[in-house]
Amino acid sequence: MLSWIAFSAFSAIAISFSLGVVFASNPIYVILCLLSVLVAIAGIFFVAGAEIVGAIQLLIYAVAVTVFYVFVLTAVPWEKALKKDSHYRVEGVLSFPLLIALYGQMIFTFLLGISASPKGEFKRLISSFGSTEVVGGILFSKYILAFELVSLVLLVGMIGAILIGRKESQTYDSP
Amino acid sequence: MIPLSAYLILSFILLGLGIFGMIIRRNLITVLMSMELSLNAVNVMLVGVDSHIHLVDGQVFSLFVIAIAAAEAAVGLGIVVSIFRLRRVDSTDELTDMRG
Repeated sequence: MLSWIAFSAFSAIAISFSLGVVFASNPIYVILCLLSVLVAIAGIFFVAGAEIVGAIQLLIYAVAVTVFYVFVLTAVPWEKALKKDSHYRVEGVLSFPLLIALYGQMIFTFLLGISASPKGEFKRLISSFGSTEVVGGILFSKYILAFELVSLVLLVGMIGAILIGRKESQTYDSP
Repeated sequence: MIPLSAYLILSFILLGLGIFGMIIRRNLITVLMSMELSLNAVNVMLVGVDSHIHLVDGQVFSLFVIAIAAAEAAVGLGIVVSIFRLRRVDSTDELTDMRG
């Protein structure tokens, strides 16, 4: 009962602030709404019993990634952007049936796949240990190759971000 | 015990809103933020199914998704800043070189 109340509250916060992410006009308001959504989703993770994922969500998403977005939003002179007429306004309205079709497809897939339910093989292990120990054990035994690949992807992404975001000596609007 | 359909419904709503934001927003940074919303919806579904069937593989996958999303934010924001530096635009409407 208590978990239902917590789940409902966090879901209401997440959905209402994600409406803010989609419809707010100022990018600073959008990043604040996104931060609220991330904290609410971390609460949902704690309700679901995934403590390590909730902690990582709070540490990496709600701190590191959000601060990164705020840095880019504040450090780049966006007011110097060239304003032109927006020429895709009708297409934006026309994309709304696409969302309805997407929801319909997801509901169809959900109804199709709700009968398939796999058996849990780590149920006894989880009941004997806590969740975090089991996650660590699985992560460093069964998914050790994927873990190393993710570290490689992070390294390549860091190098790529430095290379892409570096100051060019010559731009298009410099003579 | 929260039923599986509650997690799935929440995940559907968040994923649809994220994809809708990716379609209708024009500012490049808010498009990236909508993409973060979609990735979080996927994480909610992984963890919810995980707590329902008593496995931990979904939590491992959601950790991977968080790591990849951090790399995606770094590279995507680098590309946005580079586009702004080259073209002086911050909207997806002006990037029409490929006639898309």
